[in-house]
Order: sequence, then structure tokens, then C-alpha cells
Amino acid sequence: MPGAGGQTTHMAGQIKRIIESIIAQRAQGDPLLALTTETKLVLRGFDPTRFDAWSPDDPEILARLRAVASEMRAHV
Amino acid sequence: MNAQTAYSTKPLPDAVADLRGQLRGLKPKAAVFFASSDYDTAALSRQVRSAFPDACIAGCTTAGEIAGRMLTGSVAGIFLDDEIVEDAAAAVVEDLGAGIDLGDPFARLEGHFRAPRSAWDREKYVGLVLVDGLSGAEERLMEKLGDATDIFFVGGAAGDDLKFKATHVWAGGEAHTDSAVLMLLRLRRGFEIMKAQSFRSTGKSLVATAADEARRTVIEFNHKPALEAYAEVLGLPPAEAPGRFFSHPLGLMVRGEPFVRSPQRADGSSIVFYCQIKQGMKLDVLEATDIVADTRRALEARKGVAGEIRGLIEFQCILRTLQLRQEKRCQEYEALFAGIPTAGFSTYGEEYLGHMNQTSTMLLFR
Repeated sequence: MPGAGGQTTHMAGQIKRIIESIIAQRAQGDPLLALTTETKLVLRGFDPTRFDAWSPDDPEILARLRAVASEMRAHV
Repeated sequence: MNAQTAYSTKPLPDAVADLRGQLRGLKPKAAVFFASSDYDTAALSRQVRSAFPDACIAGCTTAGEIAGRMLTGSVAGIFLDDEIVEDAAAAVVEDLGAGIDLGDPFARLEGHFRAPRSAWDREKYVGLVLVDGLSGAEERLMEKLGDATDIFFVGGAAGDDLKFKATHVWAGGEAHTDSAVLMLLRLRRGFEIMKAQSFRSTGKSLVATAADEARRTVIEFNHKPALEAYAEVLGLPPAEAPGRFFSHPLGLMVRGEPFVRSPQRADGSSIVFYCQIKQGMKLDVLEATDIVADTRRALEARKGVAGEIRGLIEFQCILRTLQLRQEKRCQEYEALFAGIPTAGFSTYGEEYLGHMNQTSTMLLFR
């Protein structure tokens, strides 16, 4: 995505944000539900501890994560 | 009353009469059976249905039964009366090989309890899941269950006495293959779920950089042939690595707790597991700890939370059962459950939030 001055900006952090959104939507503030949702995501290959705000937005990972979000009825 | 267990090694039809005779006046609201695959499963499920017409019934074949002690060649059961179970219903998920469709089974459960799943109280409702242990569908089933509801489902994969030919699950007097049974219980006093695995992380990890998920096979760890990478972590030549599979499985770590993935065999330079490993997963290499001490610790911790435990169903990996037999520690392990009506079976895999290996998952009734 071109930024000011025509330089390309690399996108990052979406994976982490989506994971956190799924957990927040499913848990609705319940800490036990947050833990079980996190566990379910890890078991599906999305460990929140392996991603942060600087993790590159890998398109393949994002596609799989969005599919999982849909199956978990989370809107992302 | 509350819960009783019973077992019989008699042939059919005497076995079912034997089980009923052992119930000291208890009228079961729900009953779960675990039977050797040597029994005619279709006949057994029909006879059990006839013998306990007022109970919600589920069951499966096993790689060994548990009824206060570890058994083989028997049919065992746990019987729960209305002091523990307010209401119960079971539904069958058929044709797992064609895909996991929970629509009809959940509609049946919602119809029985006259409430949508969103209204099921997570502290009063708990699910049991018994799944065909040769279906290869356990992981996807647990994912779909977890998507459909936040009610906890705990259980195991049915076995067939290590023949690896056909396992069966049953409900409502009918036996099924390529299927799963979901039994939903509404409990009077609540429950606890326990997961025990006698392993700790070595601090070393492997990333599955190439995997055939459908075949539960990892082709590469850390961009190296899987067997070579696994052996390297253990400081061994690859040819010696399979000898460590049992004592050094891998663990998918969740806040420091492993969900065990056990290597089954080497396939060339790849490793076939008893559990699906997705490409990109990071797994810790585990090392064995004391199976009895760890289970004791986990059970004591749960007792501390639950108070009195009125009954327990154990879904214990056959690999743990074999380990206990080999180490001649079966009696020591059985003694952990003294005073608690305990039944269950040796499984081809354990289910709780997902599918796993070399673990004991347990449902404890308060």
C-alpha cells in the first residue's frame, strides 16, 4: 500500500487483532470462556502467543484464520 | 444412592442381567457402558436398552474397561441416578467420513431439553462424547462441537482391543460405526473436568513446516526431514528416535499445559502421529514424568475444588494403560480412585476441547 511520498508500507498485526477479536466475541468478558476459546484456537493452529502487532500479515494464514472465525461465528 | 459401577465378564445375555443384579436398588437416570469388542455390540446395545428402559444410555467398545479396576474382556458401566442427573439425552452423529453435521443431533438435544443451546447453563450441563476411534474424524468433530457450543464435552475414542478393525458407539439400543454419540447431562450439583498427562516440556520445540494433515503425518520439522529434526533435538541418530516416541511425545502448549500429540511410527523420514498436526504448529518436545504421582496431584487438586466426588468417568489412553501394566503399577493407579464410583475405558484417543493422546480425561460428578 503506497504511503505518503510513494513508499510501500508493509501491513502487520492483523493476525493478532483477529485472534483477539474472536476471543473477545466468544468470551463476552468471561475469563473461563476466554481461556477455552484461546485453547480451541491453539488446537486449530492459531496460538495467540506466536503473533504480535509486528507479525506480518501472511495472506495464507489470514485466509485460514478468517475461515476459522466464520466457523466460530465471530465477525471479523 | 447417586452413582454405582458394575461389570461382568459373562457372555450375553447373562452379562446384562449380571450388571442389573449388581445395582443395589439404584434406578439409573443415565448409564454409560464400556464393552470389550469381543461382545456382539448390536445385541449388547439392544439388551442394555431393554434392561434399563427408563435410563438414557450411551456406550462404546474399548481397548480395556474400567470399573474400579482396569479390566479386559468385560462390559462395565456407570449408573447415575436422579441425585446426580436431573435430565439426560443422547444423539448420534452419523457418517463422520462424509463430514461433520451436528444439525440434527443438536436439534434432538435442544428438543429434549426444550431450550436452545444458547440457554444451556455451562455450570449445569455437561456433554459426553464417544467417537469411533478408527474414523480419523476426532479432530474435526471436536472443532465443530467447540464451534457449536461452549458447553464442555469430554470423552474418548472407542477402541477394539487393539485389533484396529472396527469400533462401535451406541445409543438408544443401536450400535454404529463411523459415528459419534453425544450424551448431554443436566446435573443437579455440577461437575469438574480433569485432564492428566504425565509429561513436562523439555524446553525444546519443533515447528511443523510441512505436514499432511489428513494423514496425521509431519513431513518436516524446522525445514528438515521430521525424523531427523526430532532425533536431533533428542541428541540421537534418526534410527534410534522411534525408540523414544513413547517417552518423548510432542505437546501443543496452552499456557504451559501440554495437549499431547503422540508419534505412532516413522514412515521413511516422516513421522505419523496418533493425532493431527497442522502445518505451522509449534510443539514442545515432552519428557515423561511419574504417571501415578501426576494423576494423584491432578485429582487432589480437583477434589479440593469440587468437595465430595460422587462418581467419575475416566477416558484413559490405551498407551497409559499399557504403561501401567508394563510397570506393574495398575493397583497403585486404581487406588487413587478408592471410594469414588469410577468407570471408564482405555481409549484410542481422548477428547476435551480437542483430540489428544497419552492423556486421561475425566468427568467428576459433584
